[in-house]
Amino acid sequence: MLRRLLDVIYDSAAWLAALFMIGVLVMVLLSIFGRLMNFYIPGTDAYAGYAMAGAGFLALAHTLKKNEHIRVTLIIGKLQGRARHALELWSLSVAVLLSGLFAFYAMRLAWQSHQFHDISTSSDATPLWIPQILMVVGTLVLCVAFIDEWVLEWRGLRAHGRPGPTEPGEVPHE
Amino acid sequence: MNDVLVTGGLIVALFALLGSGVWIGLTLAGVAWIGMELFSSRPAGDAMAITIWGASSSWTLTALPLFVWMGEILFRTRLSESMFRGLAPWVNLLPGRLLHTNILGSTIFAAVSGSSAATCATIGKMSIPELTKRHYPADKIVGSLGGASTLGLLIPPSIIMIVYGVAAEVSIAKLFMAGVLPGLLLGGLFSGYLMVWALLNPAKVPKADENMSLARKLHESRHLLPVVMLIGGVIGSIYTGIATATEAAAIGVVGALVLSAAQGSLNWQTFRDSLLGATRLYCMIGFILAGAAFLTLSMGYIGLPRQLAEFVTGLGLSPAVLIVAIALFYILLGCFLDGISMIVLTMGVILPTVTAAGLDLIWFGIFVVIVVEMAQITPPVGFNLFVLQGMTQREITWIARVTAPYFGLMALALLLLWWFPGIATWLPSRM
Repeated sequence: MLRRLLDVIYDSAAWLAALFMIGVLVMVLLSIFGRLMNFYIPGTDAYAGYAMAGAGFLALAHTLKKNEHIRVTLIIGKLQGRARHALELWSLSVAVLLSGLFAFYAMRLAWQSHQFHDISTSSDATPLWIPQILMVVGTLVLCVAFIDEWVLEWRGLRAHGRPGPTEPGEVPHE
Repeated sequence: MNDVLVTGGLIVALFALLGSGVWIGLTLAGVAWIGMELFSSRPAGDAMAITIWGASSSWTLTALPLFVWMGEILFRTRLSESMFRGLAPWVNLLPGRLLHTNILGSTIFAAVSGSSAATCATIGKMSIPELTKRHYPADKIVGSLGGASTLGLLIPPSIIMIVYGVAAEVSIAKLFMAGVLPGLLLGGLFSGYLMVWALLNPAKVPKADENMSLARKLHESRHLLPVVMLIGGVIGSIYTGIATATEAAAIGVVGALVLSAAQGSLNWQTFRDSLLGATRLYCMIGFILAGAAFLTLSMGYIGLPRQLAEFVTGLGLSPAVLIVAIALFYILLGCFLDGISMIVLTMGVILPTVTAAGLDLIWFGIFVVIVVEMAQITPPVGFNLFVLQGMTQREITWIARVTAPYFGLMALALLLLWWFPGIATWLPSRM
């Protein structure tokens, strides 16, 4: 039940991220058309930036679950059994701590932007806490995903695959 | 002295975290956090959130996700097949014959793709089975593919150049243009090497396929037309100044979708895969960039870039010695880290030194990209080696050995770039 819920959260965040990816494209295309046809939509540049932030932050957990966030596996990949388990727990603990801090301070930033009525300085004049929500949600889901991974590792349920392509024909990314 | 100790401690912490398998983006942020806490009274957490937000939502970076997406769309088309069919009839005439499809194919695909791993996978998907079927020597097939596909980084569009351009605050459009001639030079060197080898070992080159009439060849080349148009649209619009790098990327995504639809390979499945694949790949890169942005801020507080620049200037090294030292440092680092992490990790620290030595930042960008290309094919960590391993099921040591000559050719290109800096700087100066 919990497993299902968590996976649904990661996947829906990823789909939202994908929509924001399309959003980046639409914003840039709008500014091109605007220039070609002499109409002006204020703030397309800033909106493209917010959409990019949305695409990046919301996909964090899904990308982790797909094993596509890179890390140096030179040592950890050579270990097996207890040693591997211990080192995985260590790196996951560090990750839980850091992603937790990240989520907390992202929240604090959005909260402060809201309190101080922080407004974008470019022509869009967006209250900044609105797009910053994307960072809050994305980092929170990432932290949850790291805790999830930690628990799976603790219970010995986490697959120790080689990093890189998860499906045949997929490119390891650079 | 105390500063030196603490800086040393931070570097140790960095490598300890990286080495124990902590995700790279988090490691960078974590080390930056420690540095901020030790060296400044500014609250580290708040500085982190605002810096990362600024870096992740900045307009200059928007070219990156779009070029990533363009590459993911093209990877899922039948472009590799049509490129092979279009190129094969022509290269049959050269010594080395179809091996040149690897070089030319990579050069062309690099001009629509920003990544060397994608270039390698796309070209190899077609050329490895086709060339193996015709009994070309395996070491030459894999070697030429591994070497040439690194051009994905140098020939625009290039993901890594966007990362460098943002870090060094130089025009991405100019960087792209600066990469064109060095890219062609490297392609020429690779092809030249294959020709010399073929002339020395004529027995190892299989016979040519049936000879086609000129009309037939031209007819086969029609397969190249869509990709040539896409290259023209993207690079042409940047060069003429019609579009910024970001706008050219958006045009590229639309062009790639149109090309994919025209080939009949665009459907919901490929569209969804390319979109989600691009989102994940962008997310992976963005995570590292976010950590690096905070690390750069923290390093600024520590004063490391300034101290390093003063130290190196105090040594009174000639620029040539400095460049050799930097190249060796990157090649060593490249044995353990991927290209993007290498660049974001070092740029904040190394740029003041480079500027103080009076080196042009566009030229230095091209230099760094070629060094990173070399790092792509050095074991134990080299992304092109991983791709080739996945495609050929060979040992990584064997792959590294057969690509070694191309490593040497890239070193040669670095020397040429040093003696004739105009190779990189001439084209952008004409914009």
